[in-house]
Amino acid sequence: MTKDNFHEKITLVLSFLILNNYLLLSLNFSLLLIKINFLIFLVTVLIFYSKNFFENPFLKIFFLFIIFICLGTPTFDWDPRSIWLFHAKRIFYDQSIFSVMDNYAGFSRNDYPNLAPAFASSLASLVGHWNEVFPKLSFALMFLPPLILTYVFLKDTQYLIFLSIVFFTIGKYLFNGWADGLVAVYFCLSAFLMYLLIVSNNNFLKKKILFYLIAFCFFVTLTLIKNEGIALLFILFATTFFIKLYKGELRKDISKLVFLSISFLPIILWKLFCYSKGIGNDHYYNANMLLNLLARLDDLNNYKLILYFLLLNEKFLFSLLFFLISFWINRNKELLGFVSIVAISYIFILLFLYLATPDDLYFHLNSSAARVIKSLSFLVAFFGLYNLTNRKIKTV
Amino acid sequence: MMAEVKIKKFKFFFLILCIIQLFYIFHFRSGFKYEIIKNPFNESSGISYALHPSVIESNDFLKKQKAINFNLSESLKKDTYLYQRTIEFNYPIRINESSKLVFFLNTEDIPNTCKVIETGKYLKLTQC
Repeated sequence: MTKDNFHEKITLVLSFLILNNYLLLSLNFSLLLIKINFLIFLVTVLIFYSKNFFENPFLKIFFLFIIFICLGTPTFDWDPRSIWLFHAKRIFYDQSIFSVMDNYAGFSRNDYPNLAPAFASSLASLVGHWNEVFPKLSFALMFLPPLILTYVFLKDTQYLIFLSIVFFTIGKYLFNGWADGLVAVYFCLSAFLMYLLIVSNNNFLKKKILFYLIAFCFFVTLTLIKNEGIALLFILFATTFFIKLYKGELRKDISKLVFLSISFLPIILWKLFCYSKGIGNDHYYNANMLLNLLARLDDLNNYKLILYFLLLNEKFLFSLLFFLISFWINRNKELLGFVSIVAISYIFILLFLYLATPDDLYFHLNSSAARVIKSLSFLVAFFGLYNLTNRKIKTV
Repeated sequence: MMAEVKIKKFKFFFLILCIIQLFYIFHFRSGFKYEIIKNPFNESSGISYALHPSVIESNDFLKKQKAINFNLSESLKKDTYLYQRTIEFNYPIRINESSKLVFFLNTEDIPNTCKVIETGKYLKLTQC
């Protein structure tokens, strides 16, 4: 815990403001309110920087450098340009997240969740115009809540190691306008909060309502960043549910789980809206996924190819090695079980999705596997570090 | 005392590691341009690095004509890169199948029903 819960409060306020921006745009509130909301976000970031600068200086200094890189790079790649920043541009000009209703430019995946584009559009509204560089800064700013929250649990050198893991696994995705880095970080911190608040039995945080609110905000954010987030959050809930059921403690924590599961509501509403208006990626909706799956199911080479792309990723292998060494040193069975079930479940879901893809399998893997596996790389590396620091605390 | 020195060395190692990682990302992975950082909030900042000149040219033409919509020739539509980037970059000016303003590549033959309004280095804007 930090002094006066400063980092926790800053995390909650920033997370809330990101979601509030989405809510204001959804409910067609005036542009002035949207600008004020973003200004409050920026002021909160300034408070984080100015109040006791030497508490967590590494994040503060390194993040300034990330902002510097972000503002010096154009948006090159297809996903940021054609999906995320194009959605943001549409929201900026049309002042509504529902502008996708006309299904204009179907290639831009109009049914994708719009939290990050909504935030980018508000930054553009504040600046007063659109360009090819600065809107993606808002994607970088969205990393702040989980990065700030981590300082509550990992201090000093531990936090430096954490940042080193962030730079290693997330890398350029911190500033280039892709949403995959955001998914990875929010997923990992969501898993961490789920573990601390529900799965783990002996944690003093279980009595802190502040952490439940942060978890709720992170869960909503995770589902509204990208479709993968929905699957990842579902895995977290399913894993937690079965662990509690196995332990015979489900009744004790069921109310908390029910409260946290309300976090699915915004994405359910978004998907219902898209479905009712016929918005979607024609390519995926029209292709018969089941037929693709059945056609690929009995060919062992498909499994080999998928596992080759997913598991032989060098960042994933390094992270996994670190994770295994960490749990070999400190055998925390509960934590190991939780992370392993989550990771294996996700690999199975990816296996299913890749086998069912309407695209050419090699092309799809080659263009997405390295990004998708980031969530698992970051997850195992983070929990490996947390497990080691836990050992240190116990031995001290 | 020994433990303290060890911790300091450990901390120093990871501090240097973070700096090296950031430098690597900045230098080798970012596509950072000093021209952009000089004025990242300028409306035209980064355009020449992010887009093919033909896409920028299409936007110049449309702005000059104060157009609200445009269309692309069949060969431009077949070029996925040009098709998608032209739509993205020109928004809120929308592509519209019934628009009278149609872009052709300079190398393309223009139908008799169309009149050339402007010719650039890569594209021709016509009224059909």
